[in-house]
Amino acid sequence: MSPSPSIIIAFSTLALFSILMVAGIYNTLVTLRNRFANAYAQIDVQLKRRYDLIPNLVETAKGYLTHERGTLEAVIAARNAAAAANTGAAAHPGDPSAMKQLASSEATLGGTLGRLFALSESYPDLKANTTMLQLMEELTSTENKVAFSRQAFNDAVMAYNTKREVFPSNVIAGMFSFTVAGLFAIEKPEERLAAKVSFA
Amino acid sequence: MGFLEHQDRARTRTTVLVIYFAISVVCIIAAVYIASVLIVYGTQANRPSGSPPTELVLWDPAIFLYAALGTLSVVIIGSVYKIAALAKGGSAVAESLGGRLLSPNTADPGERQLRNVIEEMAIASGMPVPRIYVLDDEPGINAFAAGHTPGDAAIGVTRGCMTLLNRDELQGIIGHEFSHIANGDMRLDLRIMGVLFGIVCLAVIGQVLLYSSRGRGRNPLLFLGLALIVIGAIGVFFGRLIQAALSRQREFLADASAVQFTRNPAGLSAALQKLGGTGSQVKSAHAGEASHMFFGNGMGTSFLGATLATHPPLAERIRAIDPSWDGNFHQGTVRVAAALSHLGSA
Repeated sequence: MSPSPSIIIAFSTLALFSILMVAGIYNTLVTLRNRFANAYAQIDVQLKRRYDLIPNLVETAKGYLTHERGTLEAVIAARNAAAAANTGAAAHPGDPSAMKQLASSEATLGGTLGRLFALSESYPDLKANTTMLQLMEELTSTENKVAFSRQAFNDAVMAYNTKREVFPSNVIAGMFSFTVAGLFAIEKPEERLAAKVSFA
Repeated sequence: MGFLEHQDRARTRTTVLVIYFAISVVCIIAAVYIASVLIVYGTQANRPSGSPPTELVLWDPAIFLYAALGTLSVVIIGSVYKIAALAKGGSAVAESLGGRLLSPNTADPGERQLRNVIEEMAIASGMPVPRIYVLDDEPGINAFAAGHTPGDAAIGVTRGCMTLLNRDELQGIIGHEFSHIANGDMRLDLRIMGVLFGIVCLAVIGQVLLYSSRGRGRNPLLFLGLALIVIGAIGVFFGRLIQAALSRQREFLADASAVQFTRNPAGLSAALQKLGGTGSQVKSAHAGEASHMFFGNGMGTSFLGATLATHPPLAERIRAIDPSWDGNFHQGTVRVAAALSHLGSA
């Protein structure tokens, strides 16, 4: 006995609807993933600018801080480590281990920069240097831009992670291996604060 | 109360005020209708050969249709005309106020900082970077945002802003202006101004009717003219009240959004305190028509004072973002001026 036409129609309609639903969820997950990848691109631009500014800053400070070579070298080393971590993170934005690596090397960089700024407080000539003032302003602005872009990135990661954890999209996420994305968190906020210097 | 609750509250109040505005237009139609019914009744009752005594018919669909269509078309045509006249982009407004476009590669440290702060706030608010104008001749602390879409927006900053405020305070003010752009306040303002002008048109038509029918005895048009003048005047008065109340709510909303963007209530609070100590007067001749767009009250206080003010009292704004404020406005000019001369001589 063959199944009646109405049953065939009912089952094919059901199948069609489930395919459409799976496709819809899959597309939403892809959209959300692209969104946080794009948000990371914004951070990447600012971080690169920051890594470009730091050697200039060190170069300018060198003439004044002749007895602080250790600090200057530490800043450059931390800058190079952070730039490498950013290259890794930019290749796989949202990859939890890459993001963690970036966050910790950024924290180290913030800490060494903070020490450099604290040192420069006792060198009035350096504080009055026009190039130094301009670099400080650019660095402050870039820091702020990183901070604001990081908020947008973390919001986008949160939206993606939530979508991939709730039912029914978690089933689709598991089937097509949408992995969990990592936030760009600040590791030691007090070290970042130390890098904030205002001349006004 | 956090900034999110402040924003919700300001948004709800905006909706209520926009509904009030719509209600007042409906009231105007009703008033015109009642006046027309009375005038029609009056002219019929005075007819000398009126053998059948006419009754006062309160509901006359024909008159209602004429009154409603007539009023609405005057208000709508007036609004569209005014909106078209006002709807120039943000740059046009900024230039009419005496703004100078900031070059992207400026070497001046103050201008460089302004550009940086604006770029930061563009990232924080998710808006494109607007064109930046400096009002060189204005020593007071003030800023404005103009334009109808985020795409054609312009932000203008007085010279006083750049010389008297530090980075965090400047960021607070710029954040405030960005929320006007992000919340679509410029568009809302424009529409309200258009409808207000439409109501003014009603009174103008009344005047025309009054003058054209003078000296022709008991002309019904004379009474219609008088009625339109009175209705128009009352309508404009209440319209202005609602417009001012609306503008004050949008200022609260913009302050709360600025805190959301900068995450630094202290900066905006300090800027408002300095504004209270230094003043926010804008001297430009065009400042009046743009007063609602400014960060602080750009004009002197009007005779109706608080009810017609486009900005809430400074103290109230500061308390909303900084409940621990001691009530003193700070001038802070000396310290900052010293820092700046230091910058300049460097």
